[in-house]
Amino acid sequence: MRITEYGLIYWTVVGVLALLVASPFLSRVLVYPRTEFFTELWILDENHRAENYPYNITRGQNYTIYLGIGNRLGYCAYYMVRVKFRNQSQPAPTSFGPIESRLPSSLPSLFNMTAFVADEQVLEIPITFSFNYTWDEQFSKVELCGLRLNGVWLNMSKCTLSWDADKKAFRGFLFFELWLYNADTNSFKYHGRFVGLWFNMTVSV
Amino acid sequence: MPKEKFWRNSALVKPYALVKNLPHYKNLKIIFYITMLFLYFAIVLIPPALCSSREEAESAIQSAENTVLNCYKAVFEAEKAGADVSSLLQVLNEASWLLSRARVAYNNGDFNSAYKYATNCTQMLDGRVDEANSLKLEAENARRMDFLVNYVGSSVGAVAIVVGGYAFWVFLKRRGKTVEA
Repeated sequence: MRITEYGLIYWTVVGVLALLVASPFLSRVLVYPRTEFFTELWILDENHRAENYPYNITRGQNYTIYLGIGNRLGYCAYYMVRVKFRNQSQPAPTSFGPIESRLPSSLPSLFNMTAFVADEQVLEIPITFSFNYTWDEQFSKVELCGLRLNGVWLNMSKCTLSWDADKKAFRGFLFFELWLYNADTNSFKYHGRFVGLWFNMTVSV
Repeated sequence: MPKEKFWRNSALVKPYALVKNLPHYKNLKIIFYITMLFLYFAIVLIPPALCSSREEAESAIQSAENTVLNCYKAVFEAEKAGADVSSLLQVLNEASWLLSRARVAYNNGDFNSAYKYATNCTQMLDGRVDEANSLKLEAENARRMDFLVNYVGSSVGAVAIVVGGYAFWVFLKRRGKTVEA
């Protein structure tokens, strides 16, 4: 029996063994690098679905939604969620185009929530809110007094909603802007994302 | 000594004597007693923590903000080193919620609540920077071990198998030639 006749089998076995031993090294080296770094932001209804969002609001009644943040930035991120409210004529933030050119709403925030999310992790914040408002029948407008958000009373006395004849509603938009902490500037910068819900403030006639 | 005379002479009961000197103003007398009672309870029962000024609240919020930021930086470094920081992040999120409430209370002029929330936030994060630093050290050690085993060990092992296989192959070939001869 000549050993050279079994050369192919021998070297195949040696090669497979070498690959097996080298597999931990190869699994770390031959990984396609992450090229997309971004943050996900969403709102779900009280059943964790994107179906039954509150729309018709009754004064003083509690509503629950979930605000989700998914971190795909490649590092543990420090976010700030700015809660704002606007009527149809007030400025909205932008969320299209290059992130650098997107702008937040110039309205003052009612409340700032900070959130720390590890890389590749998701944080879901339950938000329970209720509105307090009055109806000015004479001028056909709704004057907002305040918003109770997760037990914190927020003053909204400067906000009014006029009657929307097209939608037949007193419409207001509660939205959540996402800001990201920048360690270089030691400040928060608008992260180019927001989510929100339109509401109809119902009034009893 | 008659009771009336005793009260008038006693220096210790001057306020009472003052009232006694104004017998016609019964309403004033009642107001005086109520005021004294209120002052007594205000001094005895209201704890000092509930008397925070604007400056104290502001300082407490500033301190809490710095604590949150320092803790975040420590957690950031720990995560970068490969540590599991999920429990620390949970604490950070709870503490930052208190800080948010402190800011709202401060903006509403409720300095007592602002001070309370900010202090609670700082207390909640007490010792967390050290915890994050120790997690970072552990992660760095684990990473070093991982590098030794999975990078160095694995690659050296693979090379050793190929070289050993070649040496064994040469040995077998020579042995075969010797047997043939």
